Amino acid sequence: MNPVISMSEVTKRYGDVTALDDVSLSVRENTITGLLGRNGAGKSTLMGLLTGQALPGSGRIEVFGSHPYENEAVLSQVSFIKESQRYPDNFRVRHVLRAARALYPNWDQEFAESLLEDFQLPPSRRVVKLSRGMFSAVGIVIGLASRAPLTLFDEPYLGLDAVARQLFYDRLLADYAENPRTVVLSTHLIDEVSDLIEHVLLIDGGRMLLDQDAETLREHAVTVTGPTAAVDEFTAEHEELHREQVGGFARVTVRNTGASADRTRARGHGVELEPVSLQQLVVHTTTRNTSSKESSR
Amino acid sequence: MNRILATARVQLAAWPSTLGMPWLVLGGAFLVNLMVFALINTSNEDAHTGGLVTFYVVVLVAYVVTMTQYFPMILGMSVTRRTFYLATCLMALVQSLGYGAVLTVLELVESATGGWGVSLPFFGVEFLQQSNVLLQLLAYAVPTLLVSSLGMFFGVTFKRWGVIGMYTLAIASLVVFGGLAVLVTWLRWWGAIGAWFADQSSLALLAGWPALLTLVLAAVNFLMLRRATP
Repeated sequence: MNPVISMSEVTKRYGDVTALDDVSLSVRENTITGLLGRNGAGKSTLMGLLTGQALPGSGRIEVFGSHPYENEAVLSQVSFIKESQRYPDNFRVRHVLRAARALYPNWDQEFAESLLEDFQLPPSRRVVKLSRGMFSAVGIVIGLASRAPLTLFDEPYLGLDAVARQLFYDRLLADYAENPRTVVLSTHLIDEVSDLIEHVLLIDGGRMLLDQDAETLREHAVTVTGPTAAVDEFTAEHEELHREQVGGFARVTVRNTGASADRTRARGHGVELEPVSLQQLVVHTTTRNTSSKESSR
Repeated sequence: MNRILATARVQLAAWPSTLGMPWLVLGGAFLVNLMVFALINTSNEDAHTGGLVTFYVVVLVAYVVTMTQYFPMILGMSVTRRTFYLATCLMALVQSLGYGAVLTVLELVESATGGWGVSLPFFGVEFLQQSNVLLQLLAYAVPTLLVSSLGMFFGVTFKRWGVIGMYTLAIASLVVFGGLAVLVTWLRWWGAIGAWFADQSSLALLAGWPALLTLVLAAVNFLMLRRATP
């Protein structure tokens, strides 16, 4: 089955800065993918390239089988909700919805209106007068109600309180279950969405670090706790991702090879095993990448 | 085509303020002029008023705003630059003709009422007068179209190159036009140029040459827009 998104050796430069460096990835149809990475890692650039809003760099990008730049057939199937979206000064919330209704072929007006109510957005308020959280909520309403076969969210949660964020995740999942579509969600709140996302794309300094299923990734690592000597013995042959040591006790995160996940064996050695959260995994992988870059200078 | 029409409709989503602004400003200028003329109570044939200029200025600004505010939103809603540009041009065309028609009607009313009862030549500015209604419409519509494309030009320049771009444009214009003025003065061509302008019919000056200039601007605008990011 052809992937919805396919990028091959894509490089994008802005003057001196290399925003994306030889990036290759693919996204399967009807999956929720998390696009993770530090600030300035290249997430927004990547999404801008996928939606034809940024000018193309080098390399091959295919969305629904064709290059997205200035491609109406492809773009009419795409919805890109970015936190830097701007609206005309005289637009009110209902005007934004009116615009979205005209431009998104699969727009669901009823769904949009119910979402407006859920997020408590006043239709007559000028968009420039909305709080940051409400402004983000407008973007979320558009993104969800567009029912675009490929929907991209670039940090859509900015300013949203925890209740509204949970509302977003719930509505997204519910609608995704009934009307499957391909969703790419870039976020910093990794633990919040770790149950939501099926696939993980981790980017750092313009390079892809991880491109894996969330399931596989979670089994990817394990944290071993206990007396330092015991921990070291247990994790002897494993690649170490992170170490915390206080006095005679250590907490080491290592790459999992299956055999070490055996809890009874662990207890036999005098150590405890803990699962590694997706956020910790992302942080460890990114930090190791940064330190290995620095040590290779 | 559907998408172009849909995009054009989006630009009119907040139509009361979008379409009404030029008329609001013009209406204000008109009322002020009306009151002044009523108070002065003159039947002087040479009375002039530049109130109509405000209308063109507001239209120009509206198209700058189209590029700086509508372009980012519409591109953000997955519309291509080409579709956006064609929709904007379509809207400018229809708007110019529509506004031209309204101005023509107002001018006819003005003639019929003898300058709104106080000899106020607000809409029927002397050199704008044409022999028939259709030409009158063109004399209003084409300059409107020209300022629309000028507005787009300034808007796209600002989108692509920001404030620095605007300053560069201003300085470059000064250099180019100033340089031309120096050249013409040195070659003593002012007389010839003045004669050429006088020889042109008012329709050529109001509709003919502006139409040509609009076409040139339209092409330049699209070339610049193709590499603009929202």
